[in-house]
Amino acid sequence: MNFPDDLKYHREHTWVKVSGKKATIGITDYAQDALGDIVYIDLPEIDAEISKDAEFSEIESTKATSSVIAPVSGTIIEVNEDLEESPEIINEDPYGKGWIAVLELTDPSEIDDLLDAADYERYIEEEAK
Amino acid sequence: MRLLVLGAGPGGYVAALKAAQLGAEVIVVEDTEVGGTCLNRGCIPTKALVASAEAIHKAKKLKDFGVDVSGEITPNLSRIMERKNKVVSTQVKGIRSLFKSWGVTLIEGKGMLLTPGKVEIEKKDGSVEIVEADKIIIATGSKPAQIPIFPFDGEHILSSDDALNIKSIPKSLIIVGAGVIGCEFACIFRELGTEVTMVEMMPGAISTEDPEIARLLEKELKKKKIKLMTEVKVERVEGQHDGIHVGLAGGKELVAEKLLVSIGRSLNTEGIGLEAIGIKKGSRGEIEVNEHMETNIEGIYAIGDVTGGMLLAHVASKEGTVAAYNACGIEKKIDYSVVPAAIFTSPEIASVGLREDQASEKGIDYITGHFQFRALGKAHAMGEISGFVKVVADKETDRLLGVHIIGPHASDLIHEAAVAIKAGLKVRDIADTIHAHPTLSEGLMEAAEDVHGEAIHVPKPT
Repeated sequence: MNFPDDLKYHREHTWVKVSGKKATIGITDYAQDALGDIVYIDLPEIDAEISKDAEFSEIESTKATSSVIAPVSGTIIEVNEDLEESPEIINEDPYGKGWIAVLELTDPSEIDDLLDAADYERYIEEEAK
Repeated sequence: MRLLVLGAGPGGYVAALKAAQLGAEVIVVEDTEVGGTCLNRGCIPTKALVASAEAIHKAKKLKDFGVDVSGEITPNLSRIMERKNKVVSTQVKGIRSLFKSWGVTLIEGKGMLLTPGKVEIEKKDGSVEIVEADKIIIATGSKPAQIPIFPFDGEHILSSDDALNIKSIPKSLIIVGAGVIGCEFACIFRELGTEVTMVEMMPGAISTEDPEIARLLEKELKKKKIKLMTEVKVERVEGQHDGIHVGLAGGKELVAEKLLVSIGRSLNTEGIGLEAIGIKKGSRGEIEVNEHMETNIEGIYAIGDVTGGMLLAHVASKEGTVAAYNACGIEKKIDYSVVPAAIFTSPEIASVGLREDQASEKGIDYITGHFQFRALGKAHAMGEISGFVKVVADKETDRLLGVHIIGPHASDLIHEAAVAIKAGLKVRDIADTIHAHPTLSEGLMEAAEDVHGEAIHVPKPT
């Protein structure tokens, strides 16, 4: 399983890539693996305000339906429209082409609450027990 | 004994045939077409359109099933309507033929009660016939309700009757009313390629169904890119050169090529002589009847939509049977305890028995079981994995109280539950019955098992 070092992670299995006041978010390799083949994602709307720790999207796989929890708060400025036709991109490349949305951060200090790659990996190992 | 039935819809024609079978002399008066709303403007034509919509849907997904297609998949509306009309006319002929077979006399015209034993009929050719009868069953049904400030015009402001006969596929459509009829049409039109926006006064779509079912339907509508606006009222409707402008409370304006109003039905109680002979009506104008389907006037019965109630064809038919028996001197009472209902959206919805809130209202301590269709091999093999089965049961007695299904073939699957509830069976009776594999019915079996935490195809709860 892959957990890139340059990202920050939320306990509900979403990742954040910060770039100044903007952030790109998506779900982790652990999440896409647990979900199985993703068949649909309910993408958020542009200009939607999302809140850290709250559901901002829903993903349907062949196995289950799952809430996607926002790792940080902000306003959505871009969504990955490719996922409408091909949601399976999330399974193939969860950190790259499978990005879900870009947002403008409301409170950059929220990043400090998130885990780095090593801590997230440890957290997952604990969860599995 | 001569029985006159006013209206040949699913209530009237069933009552007529039943009475004829019981030996009565039966006359049916029908002012539009045999089969009523169900056959001509409701159940049957809409299901024919749903079948065409499903064909389009499947055709667009042929590649998923490993079938290569060369060329475009295009709906041919005139062929779709031709097919729908053929389905309807075959059914109509069938009923007329049954009437002949059982010796039921059909008089085509508008009937009006003059006295408790006499009906005046204005026939299509303008002539008037007076018919005397010993007993009368009123089955005049209902029609689409319109919003008075913008009535149907058949062109831009459509009723469900109009929607069934459109001559071209609208590019865009606003549907006012996200109940059963609105949602069914939303799915049909969306599949034909129309951009659909729904406007609903209540907080959600199909508010009379189980809330979990309604929420899933809303998600499925969203997936189809059908826009649903809830808790919103229509204030203004204006036809302009670029289409119908619909002004909503709060200021927002929607524009579309056509507007479909599906806010409910109004009962056909006008002009049939009810006031003249003193038939008692309720607060919504419905004809009041007792459990024998008899009105306040002895020998006059009323059935189906005109009595208010559930506005379901199968309820009208059952009431028709009960009324026919009573009219023929055999006592029968109507039993509404088990009435399945189905909604032919995509995915289908069906329910029978109590919802959770209804069980609570009755003071019943209840438990529930759930099962997702996506946990069933058959659903995956079919390629239709959205939906679930919910079972509601009495915690103390394990009696099955209600079943709610959203998913493939829900309208057929519900009947196992209907029989079980009618027979007073327990949840364990369903759980312990072997269900063939691989079928969708296993979903009901596992939901029943889930009531006691015993479903097999469910991961261990964390």
